[in-house]
Amino acid sequence: MLKKNKKGNDKYIVIIGCGRLGAYLANTLADEGRDVLILDRNEDSLNKLYDSYGGLTLTGDGTDLEVLKEANLDKANAVIVVTNNDNANVMIAQMAQELFQVDLVIARLYDPERECVYREFHIDTICPSTLSAMRIDKILSCGEGSGDEAAAS
Amino acid sequence: MKKRVLLVGGRRKEKALALSLLTQGYRVTAINDTLEDCQKLAEIDKLRVLHGDGTRLSVLEDAEAGSMDIVIALTAQDEDNLVICELCKKHFHVDRTVALVSDPAKIEFFHRVGVDSVVCALSTITSILAHQARMDQFSNVVPIGDGGVEIVEVPVSKNAPCIGKQLWEIQLPEKVILACILRGDKSIVPKGNTAILAGDLVVLIADHGQETEAVRVLTGA
Repeated sequence: MLKKNKKGNDKYIVIIGCGRLGAYLANTLADEGRDVLILDRNEDSLNKLYDSYGGLTLTGDGTDLEVLKEANLDKANAVIVVTNNDNANVMIAQMAQELFQVDLVIARLYDPERECVYREFHIDTICPSTLSAMRIDKILSCGEGSGDEAAAS
Repeated sequence: MKKRVLLVGGRRKEKALALSLLTQGYRVTAINDTLEDCQKLAEIDKLRVLHGDGTRLSVLEDAEAGSMDIVIALTAQDEDNLVICELCKKHFHVDRTVALVSDPAKIEFFHRVGVDSVVCALSTITSILAHQARMDQFSNVVPIGDGGVEIVEVPVSKNAPCIGKQLWEIQLPEKVILACILRGDKSIVPKGNTAILAGDLVVLIADHGQETEAVRVLTGA
């Protein structure tokens, strides 16, 4: 098998879905000097990238195996799947794992129910509402703990 | 006990399949995310209908996915059918999952992640066409008796699997007779110990539908 070209720190990261999160990640990672490719089926979505974005872009449907091949997914060290469709994200993440042997696959899932299930399937998942709930919970509990201090100052 | 089947999505296909399964004696539940389709489905006697997104765990739970023998995912989206089957297989431990797939390139992948049966209309059509092309290429078919029986001419090339074999060694389908071998300008009425040679033209009489298997046995194609 053709093994991945992992030369030093030159990590190749593929981001699928150029919404707000995808574009933000692409901009940030490219700024940090990583090798980034972002793809979206809608060419206009790619306009969210900065003019200074130094990575690659590709217009195509991320659920299409040919498009994933064109994105050189087999050479990717990490794939981040953040389209706005949970089921598409699940399928793309599994294709990345099963067919392209990508080591690190992260998928965003909006539905916390499905997130639980797919976590059992060994896909790294991120659920915005779960994260928000955790964060809000933390803020609330901090607020309670530091209530007196806030009142004192 | 009656087998329980869950159908998810798929508009007209869902209705037709539900009707057919019910007449075969299955207990059928249908999930659909379009209210209009649900109303049509609800007109079917004995069919349990649920309105909702069948790719969601809670909806599958309401449909008692865990008690199903077979789950068939019929939506138009490959990714939805994958998720339906995976949730049913891995979370509800359904014995048999069936997914409709529109992209033939994903058939193998679906199998790999655990979907039991994958049905792809496009690849079925492609294989019918390829098969037809093969028949056209390899043989000359003459239908007789309203097409119920066919006379088929099969040229035997030098790398065909039947070369050198005697007739009794060749497993032709039941309703096929090897009627005649044309060798050069001779015609041979074959017996059990007649061997087939490269360059022979074999004439079969075959029940309609069995000719392709017979051609496959003789030519390997």
